[in-house]
Amino acid sequence: MDFDAAFAAASQAAMLGWLALILLPRWRLLVGALRYGLIGALALGYAVLAFVFFFRVEGGGFDGIAEVRALFTSDPVLLAGWLHYLAFDLFVGVWIALRADALGLSRLLQAPILLATFMFGPVGLLIFYACRALPAIASIAPKGTTHVDAYA
Amino acid sequence: MSTLTLDPQRGAFDAADSARSTLLFGVAIQVALLAPSLLAYGLDERLINGVSVWSKPVKFQLSLSLLLLTVVWLLPLLPPARRASRRVRWASLAIATAATLEIAYITLQAARGRASHYNADTPIETTLYAVMGVGATTIVAGAFVVGVAIWRTAPEPGRAGLRLGAAIGLTLGAVLTLITAGILSNGGEAGHWVGASRTDAGGLPLFGWSRTVGDLRVPHFFATHIMQALPLLGLAADRIAPRRARAAVLAGAGLSVLVVAAAFAQASLGSPFLR
Repeated sequence: MDFDAAFAAASQAAMLGWLALILLPRWRLLVGALRYGLIGALALGYAVLAFVFFFRVEGGGFDGIAEVRALFTSDPVLLAGWLHYLAFDLFVGVWIALRADALGLSRLLQAPILLATFMFGPVGLLIFYACRALPAIASIAPKGTTHVDAYA
Repeated sequence: MSTLTLDPQRGAFDAADSARSTLLFGVAIQVALLAPSLLAYGLDERLINGVSVWSKPVKFQLSLSLLLLTVVWLLPLLPPARRASRRVRWASLAIATAATLEIAYITLQAARGRASHYNADTPIETTLYAVMGVGATTIVAGAFVVGVAIWRTAPEPGRAGLRLGAAIGLTLGAVLTLITAGILSNGGEAGHWVGASRTDAGGLPLFGWSRTVGDLRVPHFFATHIMQALPLLGLAADRIAPRRARAAVLAGAGLSVLVVAAAFAQASLGSPFLR
């Protein structure tokens, strides 16, 4: 199996997903395709690689940098790690996009936040956390309204 | 009696508050980047012009937050219908978006250990420096539009000074910022210094202004903070001497023009603001 080609294909697919999330309207079909189609496929790819290659790595594990580094010396496990990033980052991106729509956050401001999530995962999440917290702290939301967050 | 709403919740803010919430989202983005930038400031040993690479992001995150919060503070001077108008909502969105793109690039360049302003090292950085100028102009233009809208609003009783201070502060502050920052950014090779220095090391605490040569960032600072100074002056005058509130704000406006002009003259002559 050509892990380099799989790496490139997965990265390109994820990038297309991100572009669609940032630029296209939030069609139900698109959101479903990202959530279950693309992220599902990345998760499946990760699972297969983990099943087949993870436990073959000599000295590999999660206990300390040396063990994780050993994992990443194996190309298929490195690819699995990359798919893990792609899948989870995009999942967070879709979550941010839907929550931001609900908050009334303009698509113009969503774009750089989603871009930050695409490139630097947690940075985008941190920014979106602040976007949820600050207007609430400043209590601009109408008084007497209790908001129940059914998805969070 | 409280209302219970379930997801998906749309329009958490009513139309009149949508401009303010947009600006608050803008503040949130600045603050979210300020926290890691401050920690990086303490950890990162890389320097640009003799000061930490994180000095500029931190200063811009603070000053852009202040500018956004100023507009959030002053918007309620407009009646709800005008606050909900397309012009005011678009101006707010333009300010918030431009401020976000500015700080995104400034922060990214700091992380790369590269200058954002005055950087003509590569074609892309030269282009993005010019784009930053467009972004900064958008921010002050948005503030100007809000100032004009406040200008055209009849003052509420007891708030004449605040209204006039806000109207003049935002418009005059925008115009003088455009002028001072325009001159500042045309420094080219010389950067923001007037004189030999090419270092920010040993500058005034917090501000970083040169203590040995002229620094064109000083008039920019005074010009931009007219946006806070005049509304605050108006607010104080409304409390202390309501009958003279208008006169106080007008005098303050004249004085601020003089201060900016004096700071500009001082820097142009190559003298530091303080030694």
